[in-house]
Amino acid sequence: MEYSNPKIPEGINTSKTNPLKEFAVLTAGVIFIAIAALIILVVLVDFFADKIPFDWEKEIPIERVLGNKEKSLLPDYINTLSQKIISNMQLPDDMDITVHYVNDDTVNAFATLGGNIVIYRGLLEKLSYEDELAAVIAHEIAHIKYRHPILGASHGLAVGLVLSIISSSSDDVISGLLGNTSMITVMKFSRNYEYQADKEAIELLVKLYGHAGGALGLFDIFKAGDSASKPVEFLNTHPLTENRILQVNSIITEKQLNNKLEMKVFPEEFVSWLSVEKK
Amino acid sequence: MIDLIILIALLALGYGFGQYAEKKHYTSIRKRELILRSVPVVASKIPPQGKPNYDSQLVSGSVVISVDYFKRFVAGLRGLFGGRITSYETLLDRARREAILRVKREAKDLGAEIVFNIKLETASIHKGRGNGIGSVEVLAYGTALIPN
Repeated sequence: MEYSNPKIPEGINTSKTNPLKEFAVLTAGVIFIAIAALIILVVLVDFFADKIPFDWEKEIPIERVLGNKEKSLLPDYINTLSQKIISNMQLPDDMDITVHYVNDDTVNAFATLGGNIVIYRGLLEKLSYEDELAAVIAHEIAHIKYRHPILGASHGLAVGLVLSIISSSSDDVISGLLGNTSMITVMKFSRNYEYQADKEAIELLVKLYGHAGGALGLFDIFKAGDSASKPVEFLNTHPLTENRILQVNSIITEKQLNNKLEMKVFPEEFVSWLSVEKK
Repeated sequence: MIDLIILIALLALGYGFGQYAEKKHYTSIRKRELILRSVPVVASKIPPQGKPNYDSQLVSGSVVISVDYFKRFVAGLRGLFGGRITSYETLLDRARREAILRVKREAKDLGAEIVFNIKLETASIHKGRGNGIGSVEVLAYGTALIPN
């Protein structure tokens, strides 16, 4: 047997494919599958979430939905106004709303599970007219009317489920990549909720005051508070204030509303209560 | 968003350095393979016949190599779909050739003519860390025949 010592040919054990190409194909595949799974789940969730009985939401302990925020006593004025708004919004019989007040500088109000609404002192201070306060309360009640908190929570759950399935079967970094992609889809849903709630709030304002000036006033306050850098709507849970103003104006034109801007001022006792609260 | 930017930066860094290191290693492997061709390495278990006046000695070479972040990421994606993990092929190819080169180097330093009964063993170094570390150790060993 003759032994020879040939030169070993190159490239037998390795492939010539460019790793960048493989990366592109695989990443596109993963994102496609994740988005497809997400869309299917979200469609299912959308279909079923608002069929969850409201009673089930009410059974969630309040600490679970509100955290450990220190709630203060709601002034009679806001309570009376809220009751007036609630009775004008055609809520289902089993849906009861609880308005909470938090003595804090945060300029915000939100609606959450179990029909709970939270208004911060910081927001109250920015308001000048009852119409604007009514717009805030009606907007938040509209979220609850359309079951947005439970829809949002279910969306979050669906997204979390898809992400955990993918991340458990692959590297952590992949789930990081997907987390960002899917959040954008969720935000889009959340922006649609805002437009829907705005629309409902305008209808309420018209019913109570005969015009939608409160909504415009409220958005002017938001606009002044927006940061100087122009935010990108596509990356936010809330629509741009400008776009919300556009919607209000289009509703006003569409319904040929009487757009006189005589708004109701706050009663004396509320203004003095607020100044005492601040100290 | 910041996570995504960090991820892309790590991938770019991994790709750049990984490709550079791989290219450099292959160049060095080819050069040394040419130099050490005079020491043949054979897998046969039986020593070449008709060479009684030889001493024999164990020679071994081991190497540990890691893939870069980029290739590990691609391999992770491959783990979802299945198929050839092409991004790990060069890693193992380089490790095996480097290990054999170290065997040859040792044999040549001993003045050996041939190495027979060469064996290769591969171990992955990621115990307990899942896909966190994409490193392998390749150990090559054989019997060198040194004329006395």
